[in-house]
Amino acid sequence: MGQDSIKLEVKNMTKKFGDLHVLDDITFNVKKGEFLCIVGPTGCGKTTFLNCLTHIYETTEGSILLDGEEVDLEKHNIAYILQEYSAYPWLTVQENIQFGLEIKGYPKDEIIKKAEATMKLVGLERFKDYYPNKLSTSMLQRVVIARTFATDPELLLMDEPYGQLDIELRFRLEDELIRIWQETDTTVIFITHNIEEAVYLAERILVLTNKPTTIKEEVLCDLPRPRDVTSPEFIKIRDKVTELIKWW
Amino acid sequence: MATSNNIKKKKTKPAIISEDQITKKQSTLYAFISFAVVVVLWQLAVLFLPNFGNIFPGPYDVVALMIKIVKEPVGRLTLFAHLGWTLKRIFIGYIIGAVIGVITGLAMGTSKLANAIISPVFEILRPIPAIAWVPMAILWFGLGEASKYFIIGFSTFVICALNSIAGARATSEKLKGAARMLGASERQLFSKIILPSSVPQIFAGLQISLSASCSTILAAEMVRSEEGAGWLILRGMNTGNMTLVLVGLIVISVTGLILATVMRAIERKAISWSFRGK
Repeated sequence: MGQDSIKLEVKNMTKKFGDLHVLDDITFNVKKGEFLCIVGPTGCGKTTFLNCLTHIYETTEGSILLDGEEVDLEKHNIAYILQEYSAYPWLTVQENIQFGLEIKGYPKDEIIKKAEATMKLVGLERFKDYYPNKLSTSMLQRVVIARTFATDPELLLMDEPYGQLDIELRFRLEDELIRIWQETDTTVIFITHNIEEAVYLAERILVLTNKPTTIKEEVLCDLPRPRDVTSPEFIKIRDKVTELIKWW
Repeated sequence: MATSNNIKKKKTKPAIISEDQITKKQSTLYAFISFAVVVVLWQLAVLFLPNFGNIFPGPYDVVALMIKIVKEPVGRLTLFAHLGWTLKRIFIGYIIGAVIGVITGLAMGTSKLANAIISPVFEILRPIPAIAWVPMAILWFGLGEASKYFIIGFSTFVICALNSIAGARATSEKLKGAARMLGASERQLFSKIILPSSVPQIFAGLQISLSASCSTILAAEMVRSEEGAGWLILRGMNTGNMTLVLVGLIVISVTGLILATVMRAIERKAISWSFRGK
């Protein structure tokens, strides 16, 4: 791949909380428009990993470059979707989706245009005037996803966003995410402990080790979409990732 | 299809969570019935229990006196003027106290610095009942209205501040974090996240302090005034006129009801998104 297509460059990222060595010398690149999944055993520091990427935590060593520059939240548009639903209860669906655009100071007519387009993308138009307390969990997560995509993030980080959903809903939202990702060409880093989810979504999977965390192996996942979770190729990759996580 | 038309609407048990079990009409009816029962029992007790009427004047006497003093003044003023005075005192003192209290509380709940500066003084003032300030208030503001505004304001201030602190502190970290990720500045974080998310708590404080204001104003008027519900009660007590005491009680009840209803209407508009707005 050419140098210009690299979106995110992580070099020797190390994080220590006092004596606790959490991240150990992690180096990897993410291509522009790539869908990267990160899996690892529970408690391996996945969330610390994302928090360092977004500079919520200072890294102890190493550098994180976005388009060749140090990550700066005020300049770069990085979006972060968490496991918990963070829709604002005092705003309607539409106002929630417009929130990020208003914060970023978009002109008024563009805010409305973008919000409407995004609501259409996630199928929330009918619910635009509802407050979150009237919505189901899956719709709440959609509101958050729509709010995030509306701002055209350069990099989208997702930390087990579907961890609490049931299987059917998860499948539906995963498909929706893939569709939005394909339509918007956003670069996505998706953290999960669910191996099947990772193989279903990713173009490439990074498997992490236990603490101090580093990258154990990189698994390419170039199956055609839509993916069939029962196909032999799918199962082969899934088993491979499972083995990598189990084998210490 | 023909068959589908034949299906009769089955009578079902009401759902456990039903949105509208009591209609507005029914609820008015029930309110009327419960009120009427109390009044009738009260009047019956006065008529048939020996001596009861002397210690607890009946509804007939109370209403008769109220009608009488709508036109004839008690002391300097008629009934509605007394009500108006009490209402006005609470209203002005309450607004002043609420504004200062909410601002102080939000500042303390949001900024660690503000909290470190204000809270030592606040913690000392907080346990003091507003009534305890009466002598000082009279000394500082004189016998007139200003001392009453001060006392009402103080009691409102403490309650509103406490609730605003709690509201601001209870703002969910994940909602704040989400706004920060979207690039919100500290100022936007306050105006767009902390403030709206505190509103239900702030309104809880506003309602509680309204009730507290009613008791505070009574005490303040009983200590020193020539008009208002508190004065009516005191006058009734000094002249042995229990009927007038009861009229005073009704005046303060109506005052509280008017203010709480107004507040409730504002609250409903402000927080339709929350359970308190229902």
